[in-house]
Amino acid sequence: MRPIALFFRLFVWFSWRHFMKHRVRALIVVAGIALGASVFTSVRLSVHASLNSFTKSIDLITGRSDAVLSLPGGRVPEDLLPAVLQQPEVSHASALMTTYVKAAGDEMEPFLLIGFDPLSDRPFRDWEAQRGTAGSDSPWLGLMADPFTVLLSEPLARRHGWQAGDNLTLAHDRDHAIFRVLGILKPEGLGLAEGGRVALTDVATFQEFSGLHGVVDRIDLKLTAAVSPVSLEELGRQWADLLPEGLQITSPSEAGESGRSMIRAYQLNLSILSFASLFVGMFLVYSLVALNAASRRHELAVMRATGASPGLVFALFLTEGVLLGAGGWLAAIPLSGLLVSYMLRGVSQTISTLFVRVHVDTVFLQPWEVLLSFGVTLLISLLAAVQPAREAMLVEAGEALTTARLQRSRKDSAGKMAGVSLALIGAAVPLSRLPAVAGIPLAGYVAILSLFVGFAMLAPWGLQRFGATVSPMLNRLAGVPATLAGRYVRDSGTRTAISVGALITAVSLFTALVIMVHSFRETVQLWVHQTVSGDLFVAGKLSAVNHFRDPAPERLRKGLLRLTASVEPVRSRRFGLKTGNFDYELDLLDLGSFLRHGRFVWVDGNPKALQSRLIDGEGVLISEVFANRTGLEVGDRYVAQVEHFAVELPVLGIVRDYRTRGGVVFYDRAAFTMRYADPSWSTVRLFFRQRPEDFDAALTALRREIIDRCGSHLEMVAGEELRAAILRIFDETFTVTFVLLLIALSIAALGITTTLAVQVLERLPQFNTMIAVGAAVEQVRSMVFWEALLLITAGEIAGLMCGFLLSYLLIYVVNVQSFGWSFIYSVNWKALAASLPLIVGTALLAALPAIRLIFRQPPAILLRDR
Amino acid sequence: MTTTGSSSSLPEKNGSGVIQKGPGSGGSRVDKNRPARLRRFRSVVLWVCLAALSTVNFDAVAQQSEAGYLSVTGPCHLGFPEDHGAHPGFRTEWWYYTGNLQTAGQRSFGYQLTIFRRRIRPPAAQQGWPESPSHWRTQQIFLGHAAVTDIAGARHVFSESIARGAVGLAGVRQSDGRTTVFVNKWLIDIGPDSHRLVAATEDFSLDLQLHPAKPIVLHGDRGYSRKGDGAQRASCYYSFSRLQTAGHIRLKDKRFELTGSSWMDHEFSTASLQPGISGWDWFSLQLDNGMDVMIYLLRQPDGVYHPASSGTLIDTGGRSIHLTASDFKVSVLDTWKSPHSRARYPSAWTVRIGRHAIDITVNSRLADQEMLTGPAAEVTYWEGSVFASGTAEGLPVEGKGYAELTGYAGGMEALK
Amino acid sequence: MTDGNFLIQAHQLTRIYPMGRTDVIGINRLDLEIAPGELVVIKGNSGSGKSTLLSLLAGLDRPTGGGLTVAGVDLAAATESLLTRYRRSVIGMVFQNFNLLPTLTVMENACLPALLAGTAYEQVAGKAVDLLRWLGLEHRKDHLPSQLSGGELQRTAIARALINQPQIILADEPTGNLDSRNGKAVVELLAGLNRDRQRTVIIATHSNLADPHATCMIHLKDGEIAGRA
Repeated sequence: MRPIALFFRLFVWFSWRHFMKHRVRALIVVAGIALGASVFTSVRLSVHASLNSFTKSIDLITGRSDAVLSLPGGRVPEDLLPAVLQQPEVSHASALMTTYVKAAGDEMEPFLLIGFDPLSDRPFRDWEAQRGTAGSDSPWLGLMADPFTVLLSEPLARRHGWQAGDNLTLAHDRDHAIFRVLGILKPEGLGLAEGGRVALTDVATFQEFSGLHGVVDRIDLKLTAAVSPVSLEELGRQWADLLPEGLQITSPSEAGESGRSMIRAYQLNLSILSFASLFVGMFLVYSLVALNAASRRHELAVMRATGASPGLVFALFLTEGVLLGAGGWLAAIPLSGLLVSYMLRGVSQTISTLFVRVHVDTVFLQPWEVLLSFGVTLLISLLAAVQPAREAMLVEAGEALTTARLQRSRKDSAGKMAGVSLALIGAAVPLSRLPAVAGIPLAGYVAILSLFVGFAMLAPWGLQRFGATVSPMLNRLAGVPATLAGRYVRDSGTRTAISVGALITAVSLFTALVIMVHSFRETVQLWVHQTVSGDLFVAGKLSAVNHFRDPAPERLRKGLLRLTASVEPVRSRRFGLKTGNFDYELDLLDLGSFLRHGRFVWVDGNPKALQSRLIDGEGVLISEVFANRTGLEVGDRYVAQVEHFAVELPVLGIVRDYRTRGGVVFYDRAAFTMRYADPSWSTVRLFFRQRPEDFDAALTALRREIIDRCGSHLEMVAGEELRAAILRIFDETFTVTFVLLLIALSIAALGITTTLAVQVLERLPQFNTMIAVGAAVEQVRSMVFWEALLLITAGEIAGLMCGFLLSYLLIYVVNVQSFGWSFIYSVNWKALAASLPLIVGTALLAALPAIRLIFRQPPAILLRDR
Repeated sequence: MTTTGSSSSLPEKNGSGVIQKGPGSGGSRVDKNRPARLRRFRSVVLWVCLAALSTVNFDAVAQQSEAGYLSVTGPCHLGFPEDHGAHPGFRTEWWYYTGNLQTAGQRSFGYQLTIFRRRIRPPAAQQGWPESPSHWRTQQIFLGHAAVTDIAGARHVFSESIARGAVGLAGVRQSDGRTTVFVNKWLIDIGPDSHRLVAATEDFSLDLQLHPAKPIVLHGDRGYSRKGDGAQRASCYYSFSRLQTAGHIRLKDKRFELTGSSWMDHEFSTASLQPGISGWDWFSLQLDNGMDVMIYLLRQPDGVYHPASSGTLIDTGGRSIHLTASDFKVSVLDTWKSPHSRARYPSAWTVRIGRHAIDITVNSRLADQEMLTGPAAEVTYWEGSVFASGTAEGLPVEGKGYAELTGYAGGMEALK
Repeated sequence: MTDGNFLIQAHQLTRIYPMGRTDVIGINRLDLEIAPGELVVIKGNSGSGKSTLLSLLAGLDRPTGGGLTVAGVDLAAATESLLTRYRRSVIGMVFQNFNLLPTLTVMENACLPALLAGTAYEQVAGKAVDLLRWLGLEHRKDHLPSQLSGGELQRTAIARALINQPQIILADEPTGNLDSRNGKAVVELLAGLNRDRQRTVIIATHSNLADPHATCMIHLKDGEIAGRA
């Protein structure tokens, strides 16, 4: 214990008091770290909340079942329920149906309607109604006894002001009906599913409402303890005679696995992105600890002369780093609280848009996440302090004896560092070729880190070269102060150079993200305009939110047969399928008609050569995401169970697709009908055969005709509107990314401020000497300004180079491995050209406080002081 | 085979069967940790079904309109095998079996298996149904109760199974003179010569074959059994008072081959018990002189039995004699306090049927045969095997039977 | 070469600083023997090698040639950690510019070597207070160096030099930054240490203040002994 107490006593005497003396510097560094740590923590907590809510919802709806009976892309005949219940392996069975519905007057937010048998479901799922239900029966008896009654989750009821006994109109894709609210669920069990946005109804009511007589979505099973463990595959074989063709027995733990892995990948992505902020903060720690080590050289020598071991000095400076980290982390706690509420919305919206629907209300403070952020922050700060601490340790005791020490002719290590940094940058190439580990682009992330570190370490050598190159030019262009500034940059040494690393990192992140988001958006835009083509999209109400899983209402189907001849319909039916744990859609559409008006965005395959083969149904097109997730390539065979049919077709091509969950397989509808069965259709898009002169009027007329023929219980979106909406949602999903970026940039600006301020303070005697030999104050200021400009420019050039490399990594490695999609590489030159000078300007603004520090005190005082 | 659709869509008439497609068998045990609210009072099954199926208070139940249901107001005109089936127009119905069995080594067991039917809305409510109702749409709920008492092992286990009378989960099926009443995996099958009972849970199961040793007994006035003051306070009620029984019971992993004697009741009604009845004691006894006794006591709060209490005496040849309240006298000799519910139940009685010179004492064969239900034991009653000894017409006599005691536990209070 | 009678023995002691293409001679082939209890005054002009000799004796620097043994420690061959321990326990150092740590109070500066040697603050505090009282600094013990006068600063430095009870006190121009009154007082103090506490004291100085107390005078010139008295 004693050595530790002794150490802390020394730390307080030597380091803490020094911090206190220069607390503004320390506070800036702590603020930078705090920003980084809070971004990191709040991003992780926000995504975690989404993941949590998704998992919880899935678990609540899955309940305590041991196995699930389902039909891929279809529904299970209800007769199967009593049949499987008779099997000795089964102790309980319960049927479940779900669909998203909307309440009349609330077009924005659909919620999940769960249809179940309250009696047979009791061993599976818990729920309870609050007191004060309508009628004298218990709520579950009421659900059964009275048609069209519902129980509402508490948040849902509160949001709409619904109470027991109220009537409300709910709309489904086929129909709408008036329901009576039987009661409100307690916030527990099923009442918490979907973030508390659920309604429960009796399975009979569900079928009558949806028109889905005779079938249920799935049957949950509890198996008898005496019979298990029977593997589910074995059970499937035993029940071969019992189960209709195509029916599957799966483990409930598989439910939502693909959604979970998507969210996890997104979490990792954002974590890395937000980690960049911490990484930038690391430079701040470095620069302050390095400054302390340099400016207190003499004190260190005295310490050493009075008997301090090198180890002690090393530990003192390392502890400075740790202290800054810990302080930053503490300050990050309230900051995270503020940030997280903002992030939560953005993050859950992004996840809902890109991956799976989530509802998040609350963030749970997870001890693990808190520990993680603490650990990461501390580690970062510790690492940042290692190099300066080593420098401090090497101060020799003998220096104490000399007042004016001769400049040590230490061989500058810039060259050596350049070698290491080039090796690091080079390492990114092989790293980027490595495959993902368990769906995580681990090597890709390591490559990003090695790029960052590599470029930061390249800075000393780069500045030497840069300074040497520009100073002669500057002499002619901008006079002596600029030349001196160039020399200074050339000779500035490792410490200053590494501080530029902060700027390099931030700028490269900025560049890479601008390029990535632009590429993403351009590609999506291309996809939207070619593949999501069509002048009017028509589907049953709520068909989209339910993933177009059901055929369109009959009235719609029949009505559309008699539409005006001036439009050509492309009908489509989608099946939600699964391969392994990966959810995807089989999209059966009228390829002939589609290809007359729209196109796919091809990744692999020859569009011209394949067109007729596609229309003839010779094979399928798969989306890039599907290809990357399943490993299927052109020429391979696509195999799937679709309802009762075993589908096996060759893969003809790979195309881009960016719809939610990303995995899509396209096949011709007519060909499917011929080979298997008529899948009927769930949604249709209409193309004008010829673009009408007055497009808007024609569209309005078309809408009116459809309503006349098919009724109004449908959803119609004009193609233009839909495409605009997709792009708008797309843009919204990147706000979080840009917030992270802004924070990284502001930390870098803080870094510039401290670095330059420190440099100015250190060189005040030198400035005074310059004044003494005849320099004007303005010339000195101009020199410092040029220094800042040169450092920032150098940092920006290096950052730009690093950013381009990084953007390749993000687009072709990280995105492909995380989400399965890539984009057409496209640089937003305009945005870069506009924003990079802006960053220089901002950085120069950040340098202003440093320039103003010069000659704030009369030179004479400074001279005497020394 | 009588073919009918969903029971409630039938023209309601005594003797028409509730027909459900698909057989049902096997058992289910409801986890006691969960808010299982379903238990029964045999005698006040109305309360059971409502109280158990709901958390509603007694007054609300009592005041609930009975309009719309068929009601029992006079002789039942029972005919068999049709009337073994369901009478879906009435609100409440049950098929009830109890028995005392033993192994070849004279190890004794008691059992009960009951399936209740409950109509949750009057037939007229069907007019509010959608045009094409779902197959799941029904007004019938079926509830099974099974219990086994291992006398030597001093163990009493019970379970329940509940399902709606639709999509083949539960119901009553009649064909070729056989009636099958089933709920999930449990079933009662009544044939011309034999009955079969099947119930299985994780803890225990039973599979028994029963052969009538006496003809059907119609209680009260040709099956019209009064339960209170008004004419509609009544049920249709008949029994097989003596069924030779053979089969097996499994307790955990132990299987016992058993023989013995069982009792069967089938009863249906609509009218609830009248206010002021606090509970209900019921006895079925099979004496070794060949006589069987059923006594039905409606208890008032002051402890006095309501005058509508009644019974039936069945002689060796199967002839039945209706007993009115004045024909018998039952007094409590001893009580037992439940450690579970803290309720005090009678545990020994003297039963005197003066006109027939029967004077016996009845004792429970195992004190703890209490049925505790729900997380808060809202509905709790005692249902168990009993032993009788005494004299009949001057000769010593012994017998076995079952007793059901309701309204003793706090649960009854909850209903008031 | 080692003789038990001498506390300090230098044999052909050499320290050469390589400065680019030329070498600068600090100390050249110097032989020196100092017995315990002496007060040695080393004199010489700037660049004569005074400071080099002192830093070699203090274990702050290493010879580039020859041998140097102090209190039985072979400084020419000692490891860095041995040198650290040597500095802690054998040597007390007094500098021309005091070299007090600016963030530490008088008391704390005085205690520092003891703490660095692993002694608990509570154990050393009493001794430090005694020392400070003896040096007339008790009322100044919670002040920072920036609040002290030159004489006080040097007395604090002496307290720091004495805290580990070293055998040898090395003073490098201890009066160089002091006025004559304070300079005299400091020399008196050092002489008193030599006289009353039997410390070996070695003073490198320009001034003549210490001459009367010297048991031995060494004149250095160009890194070699030009004369001794």
